[in-house]
Amino acid sequence: MKLKILFLLIITSGLAIYAQDIDHHKNEDIPITDNNNYTYETVVDELSVPWGLEFLPDGSLLITEQKGTLIHFINGKKQIIEGVPEVYFRGQGGLLDIKIHPDYVNNGWIYITFSSTEGAEKGGNTSLMRARLDGNKLIDKQVLYKASPNTTKGQHWGSRIAFDNEGHVFFSAGQRGERDVNPQDITRDNGKIYRLNNDGSIPKDNPFVGIPNAKEAIWSYGHRNPQGMDVNPKTGTVWVHEHGPRGGDEINIIKKGANYGWPVITYGINYSGTEITEERSRSDMQQPLYYWIPSIAPSGLAFIHDTVQFQELNGNILVGSLKYNYLEALYLDENDKVIKREKLLADVGRVRNVKQAPDGNIFISVEGKGILKLVKK
Amino acid sequence: MKIIITLITAVIIMSLYAFNQTSNYTFSSGQDYENRHIQDTTLKNSMKRGEVLYADFCMQCHMTDGKGVEKTYPPLAQSDYLSEHKNAIKAVKFGLNGEILVNGIKYSGAMADLGLYDDEIADVMNYILNSWNNTSEEIITPELVKQIDK
Repeated sequence: MKLKILFLLIITSGLAIYAQDIDHHKNEDIPITDNNNYTYETVVDELSVPWGLEFLPDGSLLITEQKGTLIHFINGKKQIIEGVPEVYFRGQGGLLDIKIHPDYVNNGWIYITFSSTEGAEKGGNTSLMRARLDGNKLIDKQVLYKASPNTTKGQHWGSRIAFDNEGHVFFSAGQRGERDVNPQDITRDNGKIYRLNNDGSIPKDNPFVGIPNAKEAIWSYGHRNPQGMDVNPKTGTVWVHEHGPRGGDEINIIKKGANYGWPVITYGINYSGTEITEERSRSDMQQPLYYWIPSIAPSGLAFIHDTVQFQELNGNILVGSLKYNYLEALYLDENDKVIKREKLLADVGRVRNVKQAPDGNIFISVEGKGILKLVKK
Repeated sequence: MKIIITLITAVIIMSLYAFNQTSNYTFSSGQDYENRHIQDTTLKNSMKRGEVLYADFCMQCHMTDGKGVEKTYPPLAQSDYLSEHKNAIKAVKFGLNGEILVNGIKYSGAMADLGLYDDEIADVMNYILNSWNNTSEEIITPELVKQIDK
């Protein structure tokens, strides 16, 4: 009898090892279901890595190609914009996000993030600039922020841009391959969400203003690599998603001065399959609104709102999946909890970005394909 | 008695399985080439540099064990796509777009151009071609990488 119990114990522990190792998944996850009610129309073709996308008031599009080209798609034609800053095209870096000022009609400012080599060290780091468009030329260029130090590592540039309604611009910079150095240290750049005034100055009410050696532009920290950002039109708060390592991609609602935990707490594991930490939560760190296991490699995040064309998507968010080649819809309840997930446009390709246009149409950018418009079947 | 024998068998199978699973994730590349007694320190050094580059530029998709993610990111370990070195160098140098067949499985996701220098491509190729039980007679040099066109 005793022997039997011993054997049972051994078997149970064997099972536990087995479960931990290959069965790395979420308990009680919201299952994702196929929604086949949508298809797409190609709007711009023959693009390589269309990282950023923006809509100008005249209905034309601005598209950044990661390799360093800025395209103005107007009257059905690609016009190459001159005067684009030289980018450090390396790994995930290059010419990244693009976004117009909320009052663009009056001031003409266009905000761009890119991988910049500015500075003494070899390599590059994330930079935010603004400029105006004059015909097919960028003029009045001003660098508003340059993260430092540079590094020759290729990954984690972050770089999504968003504006709130109070005169601030937010952007992200990923950890630049320095997990144990950057995200938890507010005296260092990288692994952060930043908030600046629209002219690049640091708002006096930023959380770390006045703290010795702090990077005062930081708004929140403990991030890994945020490549999706949008403002919730209902609440005005910034929502961000970020890449985890192997598992543990997260959606977070960004709060002033908050620590999002990476790498002290995480639902992800090392690429090698080993644990980074067993800690999943701490009282002084934020829990994600939602997390993915396995990783979907999210890029681009859009709140869909007030559309006539896609009423079923209003009040919900869309996220691109680089890994699984689809567009994910996450449906929210009145308390902003994720209650349903759907896979739209299965196998469409690596979805780099998703945006709602001012006219309510929804556009996605697909690597190796181009800009596609979501259409109901 | 029968039950006990069944249990013993089960334990052995389980522990073998668990052992196998764990060993799949072991990152033993350094040992791999040490054990094969490669005398050429040039290759050894190239692979060492390549290992660092692999962790920065390739691992997120192709994983530490080079096995990728089936049907999503193709394997580099024991991959028939690598038998023609030129193809692999081309992919690293210029990126890949369109469907490819690797070990009989279709992959259609795009791979971006990585912005690596020719010497770095040589290093990461030497690492890939000599890790995870991959072996290569040919040493990839920056000169060879330079010659390869789109």
